[in-house]
Amino acid sequence: MYSKNVEDVFKSKSIKTGDIIKVKAAVGSFEGMLMPRSELGDGDIIVLKLDNGYNIGIRFGEGASIEKIRDGPMPAAASMPSGSSHNPNLPKVALIYTGGTIGSKIDYATGGVYMLTKPEELMAEVPELAGIANIEIRHLMSMASEDMGSAEWKAIAAEVFKAASEGARGIVVTIGTDTMHYASAALSFMLKDLRIPVILTGAQRSSDRGSSDAFTNLICAVQLAAKSEIGEVGICMHANSSDNYCSFIRGTKARKMHTSSRDAFRPINSKPLARVYPEGNIEYYSQYRKVADIGDAKPILGFEDKVALIKTHPNLDPNVLDYYVNEGYKGIILEGTGLGHVPTFTSDPKRSWLEHVKNAISKGVVVGMTSQCIYGRVNTNVYRTLRLLSAAGVVYCEDMTPETAYVKLGFLLANYPGKAGEMLNKNMVGEINEKTEIDWLV
Amino acid sequence: MVAGKEGREYYRSIGFKCGLEIHQRLLTKTKLFCPCDASLDSGWPIAKIYRRQKAVVGELGKMDLATEFESSKRRMFIYSAFRNTSCMVDVDEEPPHAVNSEALEIALLIASAFDAEVPDEIEPMRKEVVDGSDPSAFQRTMEIGFNGHIDVGGRKISIPFISLEEESAGIQESTQEFVVYDVSRLGIPLIEIDTLPEIETPEEAKEAAYRIGLLLRLTGKVQRGIGTIRQDVNISIAGGARVELKGFQELDIMDKVIRNEIERQLKLIEIKKQLEERKAKVHEPVDVTALFSSTRSKIISENSKGGKVLGIRLEGFKGLIGTEINPNRRLGTEISEYARLAGVRGIIHSDEDLDSYGFSTEEIGALKKTLAIGEKDGFMLIAGKAGIVEDAARFAEIRARLAISEVPKETRVVDSKTLTTRFLRPLPGKERMYPETDIKPILVDRKYYLSLKHMAPDIEREREKLAKEIGNKQLADQLLGSQSMTLYRKILSETGADPVTIASFILEKMKELRRGGIDVDRLSDELLVYIFKLFKEGKITRNGIYEIAKRLPKDKESVDSIIESEKLRRLSDSELLSIVRPLAKLGKEKIIREVMSKYRLNVDGDSLIAIIDKVVG
Repeated sequence: MYSKNVEDVFKSKSIKTGDIIKVKAAVGSFEGMLMPRSELGDGDIIVLKLDNGYNIGIRFGEGASIEKIRDGPMPAAASMPSGSSHNPNLPKVALIYTGGTIGSKIDYATGGVYMLTKPEELMAEVPELAGIANIEIRHLMSMASEDMGSAEWKAIAAEVFKAASEGARGIVVTIGTDTMHYASAALSFMLKDLRIPVILTGAQRSSDRGSSDAFTNLICAVQLAAKSEIGEVGICMHANSSDNYCSFIRGTKARKMHTSSRDAFRPINSKPLARVYPEGNIEYYSQYRKVADIGDAKPILGFEDKVALIKTHPNLDPNVLDYYVNEGYKGIILEGTGLGHVPTFTSDPKRSWLEHVKNAISKGVVVGMTSQCIYGRVNTNVYRTLRLLSAAGVVYCEDMTPETAYVKLGFLLANYPGKAGEMLNKNMVGEINEKTEIDWLV
Repeated sequence: MVAGKEGREYYRSIGFKCGLEIHQRLLTKTKLFCPCDASLDSGWPIAKIYRRQKAVVGELGKMDLATEFESSKRRMFIYSAFRNTSCMVDVDEEPPHAVNSEALEIALLIASAFDAEVPDEIEPMRKEVVDGSDPSAFQRTMEIGFNGHIDVGGRKISIPFISLEEESAGIQESTQEFVVYDVSRLGIPLIEIDTLPEIETPEEAKEAAYRIGLLLRLTGKVQRGIGTIRQDVNISIAGGARVELKGFQELDIMDKVIRNEIERQLKLIEIKKQLEERKAKVHEPVDVTALFSSTRSKIISENSKGGKVLGIRLEGFKGLIGTEINPNRRLGTEISEYARLAGVRGIIHSDEDLDSYGFSTEEIGALKKTLAIGEKDGFMLIAGKAGIVEDAARFAEIRARLAISEVPKETRVVDSKTLTTRFLRPLPGKERMYPETDIKPILVDRKYYLSLKHMAPDIEREREKLAKEIGNKQLADQLLGSQSMTLYRKILSETGADPVTIASFILEKMKELRRGGIDVDRLSDELLVYIFKLFKEGKITRNGIYEIAKRLPKDKESVDSIIESEKLRRLSDSELLSIVRPLAKLGKEKIIREVMSKYRLNVDGDSLIAIIDKVVG
């Protein structure tokens, strides 16, 4: 933001962002388009876009002057593709748009990144989609995924169900990547009786870049929605850094494993369900649930928000757990160390978690155990601590990721009162595998 | 060719305008936005990444011709990445790190050397790139200087723009289906220096390019060697068009190439006038595949296999397609180069000797009939695979139509052998640029910038200093103009060895060795410093330096063992004295001959003379 001093001058000359102005200052005299100033940075520096396309910053110091040359150009209306053509031979695919990087675009004039409000703009960038399916765009929300919670998962699940009831063969949900794996787990449980392809996809590079992964991801996702035999919820994103094909990962077995790379999403304790190529071929890698008619399936939309996911670590004060219990939490997923430990036989007995865990369980809180190793399965027998925690009533969550266990517990507590503890480590929708295969650690 | 004797008046009369764009790699340890090694010392490739890029619509909502040509190729880009010189930033998998402060300091020093002003705050930008040479599909760049100038023969040439940017990836292999890029070069800091189109003659362009390059080298902070500096020339003449000439391998040919380009444009203007008079017209392509079903013309039968042959009537073009516009280049050559962009091998046109292609009179007759070729008309034929040949015909049509309306704005590549240029791509429109939001703007400390003035080099000052240092004006000028100033300064400052010996070794002896087929440039700067240190310490002679260099030692140990095995140790004064003393009565000249014939590699002439003078008296 510009300083008050600069803003006052702008106001007195009725200058606004985008106007062509002339600035005379110590380093020289410049004419260009006034750019907005970010919240951070020196407010006395005026940023101009020069005729050569470059921006430069000029200090509005002593003796400097500003002059308005003319009003800025009116923002051009975004051109929309004219009414998409319907091809009766292609399946119907609903594209539910929720926001995220895949739906963010740069304002080339100001450099600001904003969320697309018209998903049609994205469609216009990927004309290939029209040759795969008849796409029906449903603009549900424009949110960054870190801001999403159970309310949004419910809204998405309801919209998916609605689209399916209205005849969509498959559904693509575009969503931010940061919490995509939480959302995919939530949809997996909420839509557990809906046997159609529900494909979540997004982008690690925004779609205004020529190098964006959005194009390949979106094409592959629509291919899956239009053609695949998999009647499940899953994530479709780049399988590696190249634009050759994508992985389709079961919604309860996916995790974002890299902050920035295109192939950040990895199957955890499983193989991908399939590999899909932009040209449309699909190679299946795992057992999956086949697509089927909706029948009398209904979405199950309850979710208990009083559930927490706690990552334990050396030195962590067990009073942290008491806090949640006292706050009325109904479920806790622990992200323990190794096979499923929390500090137990500590040199300072006050640091032991065992009694605190027992206390929580005695108050009716469901406590589940997962591992911060991410890969592998927790165990109740190998060490004494495991045996004690398990005997105290901690539910060991097999090979579930902490995030999936968290979502599942919230889902169970709301929809299966009194049975959550018992159901937590029993497979429902493919979130638990009995067998751990040799080549799953990647 | 325009003769070259013409003065400023002539060039003014044809409306000649010329400006330069100089790109120079900076000498930094690491790249501009990541900690990768900026030395090109790649090591093993560790990954090949396959990407597709989408051509994005330009600022005005439509693709320009350059973008359209590129995207018509629909090529896959393959990026080769290396352990030392690439990381996730290079392959667009990690946001850029903060700007390399070493590069920024060098850039500001250079701005200062050109008397430029700098912004109070530098704003990093993204410039869109459509040819795949950057995996992110844009180049990061920032304007760091303006209002600079350079003196060229007493005239001030304005430098309105200096930028610091990322080097692009280098092409390893290019086909119609894919391009392989080596990303080790990508992201090396590059400085761009643009002049205004104030240059008045081809010779002045060469001189300005030389002076800019020299000033850059005098900072001692730029890379040297092939490809580290690129000098692009923008020229236009009245009635012609702005053309960018790229790929000058050596400055020497710059004026000659420019004169050829003037000639080309003059001829094209002449052709245009004639086409206008004839009311020339380019017709739509016609599928004439059937006419050539049993042709004996190899060029048609081979290229149309499973594809087709398209014919285009060029109404009123007869004789002009074959008019020479540069030595061995015709309008037909230019059209052919456009068509080739789509992936065909070229075109055949009616001003060529059609018999030599193996066509029968019947075939040509039928073709003329089908295309309705009149007396003043020409035609062109294009053969190739379906899907490609249509694009090729469209590009050829575009070029042929331009011949009637204008000299096309183009980027052209210099051919060092013929001193002419060939078409590379249409001159891109205004590049789309937008802020690089992943990097914070950089505040420039004005006091710091002003303090750089004292460190910035000055050509005349440097020339005088060098002449004094070497005591040989010619050698000094030669050194100043060469790529080796940095090396000279390094050896001198790190060894304190005799300047003349250093200069003559770098300029003369190294050239001699190169001519003898010895790749003397493989010797690292560090090793040369070591060798000169030995010389300074009196352990080897001048001839010894040459003998060692000739054997291309890999490291210090191999230098030592060469001295040992080749008996290159310099004789000490006392050893020399004991050799000279018994010969005292022979007289000075004979002693010299005698000693040098035996100890040429172990004695320096000047020290021998000193000893003889002492003994003989």
